[in-house]
Amino acid sequence: MRRVALGAAVLLTALLLQGALLSRLPGPPDLLLVVVVAFARAEGSGSGAVTGFAAGLLVDLSADHELGRVALAYAVAGHVAGLAQRRERSPLLPLVAAGAAAAVAVTAYALQGFLLGDPRTTVGAWLPAVAATVGWCVVLAVAVVPLVASLVRRLDP
Amino acid sequence: MRRGRPLLLLLLAALTLTALDARGGGGFDGVRRVADTAIGPAQAAVSSALGRDPDPDVAALEAEIARLTAELSRSGGLQRRVTELDRLLRLTRAGSYPTVPAQVTGAGSAFGFGATVAIDAGSRDGVREGQTVLDGDGLVGRTVRVGPYTSTVLLLTDPGFSAGARLTREGTVGLARGDGRLLTYELVEGGRVSVGDGLLTTGSDTFVPGVPVGRVTSVRAEPGALVTTAVVEPFVDLASLDLVGVVTEPPRGTPRVPLPLPR
Repeated sequence: MRRVALGAAVLLTALLLQGALLSRLPGPPDLLLVVVVAFARAEGSGSGAVTGFAAGLLVDLSADHELGRVALAYAVAGHVAGLAQRRERSPLLPLVAAGAAAAVAVTAYALQGFLLGDPRTTVGAWLPAVAATVGWCVVLAVAVVPLVASLVRRLDP
Repeated sequence: MRRGRPLLLLLLAALTLTALDARGGGGFDGVRRVADTAIGPAQAAVSSALGRDPDPDVAALEAEIARLTAELSRSGGLQRRVTELDRLLRLTRAGSYPTVPAQVTGAGSAFGFGATVAIDAGSRDGVREGQTVLDGDGLVGRTVRVGPYTSTVLLLTDPGFSAGARLTREGTVGLARGDGRLLTYELVEGGRVSVGDGLLTTGSDTFVPGVPVGRVTSVRAEPGALVTTAVVEPFVDLASLDLVGVVTEPPRGTPRVPLPLPR
């Protein structure tokens, strides 16, 4: 119960910051995706997928595309980001996971667009979108992954 | 195997939602409205706490300036020609439309695909789907998703955008389409277009006629092709959009103009 409350609080804070501040920057950076990656690194693939699904639905509700598209993209991204937990603890591993998760999320979204006939998700638009999302996700992960990890530890010592 | 099972269920749920929503019918409109009512004001509060919201009077004045500048740019040397064409094409006079000022709050589409922006005006301000959005330089786009407090604007360069437009000099009617970063303007065989020509919207039942769209920068005329395509650079600087105006009342009369038949 407390874990759900923590997840909801962090996601809603990220959503407000995203809309009020980050979405104006070029790219734009995707703070919710970074939060999903952070929960996946702290708790594993299962938690990453569930957090991703919930975060994606929040995004979908205020977006102009079909409901469930970002939910699917974030869920897959959260699952991917939570993999390779038991490897040796390299400080770079969370950043690699963040980059991989971002690339997977954008690609999943673009593939759905292809299936749905979305005129925006073209091959030409895919590469710049991957580059921008991966870049920002890795940069933001440096701060957000340790922050969420400490929140999760505090909740469940 | 076990580890993948929750993911599979979630994917199935997401795909089901997408399929249901893609079928149309607006079954999720209620949920979307509730979400916007909950999030929209909170986002506006955070935005103004971060010192990004202008004074409402300033916003209204800037919207007024935007509207007047748009009107001015239509007049000048082109006034006589425009009036004549307007009368000919039975367009309603591009008079004063009620305009709601709105602040661009950020990008509107996921992962930066497409060209949309979110604005802080919604159905409570009189905004409806398909309305014209403009600023001081000309056409910005059209509203696509409208919540009670926020809306999404499809910019004129988005691949999903298209609108009727005519050349200021020739008066030829064609179709302006978004092309990612610029616009393309297609006109049927026999229509003449040259570099430097300006484009104005022709208008429809919800779209305002006579709004400056952009200027032709190059023409691709392939011999034997039915359609001549021109590349158009928008008048509006889409990278630095700030305050825009949403025209909340459709033009009166029947300004819909049929495409001219090829000769």
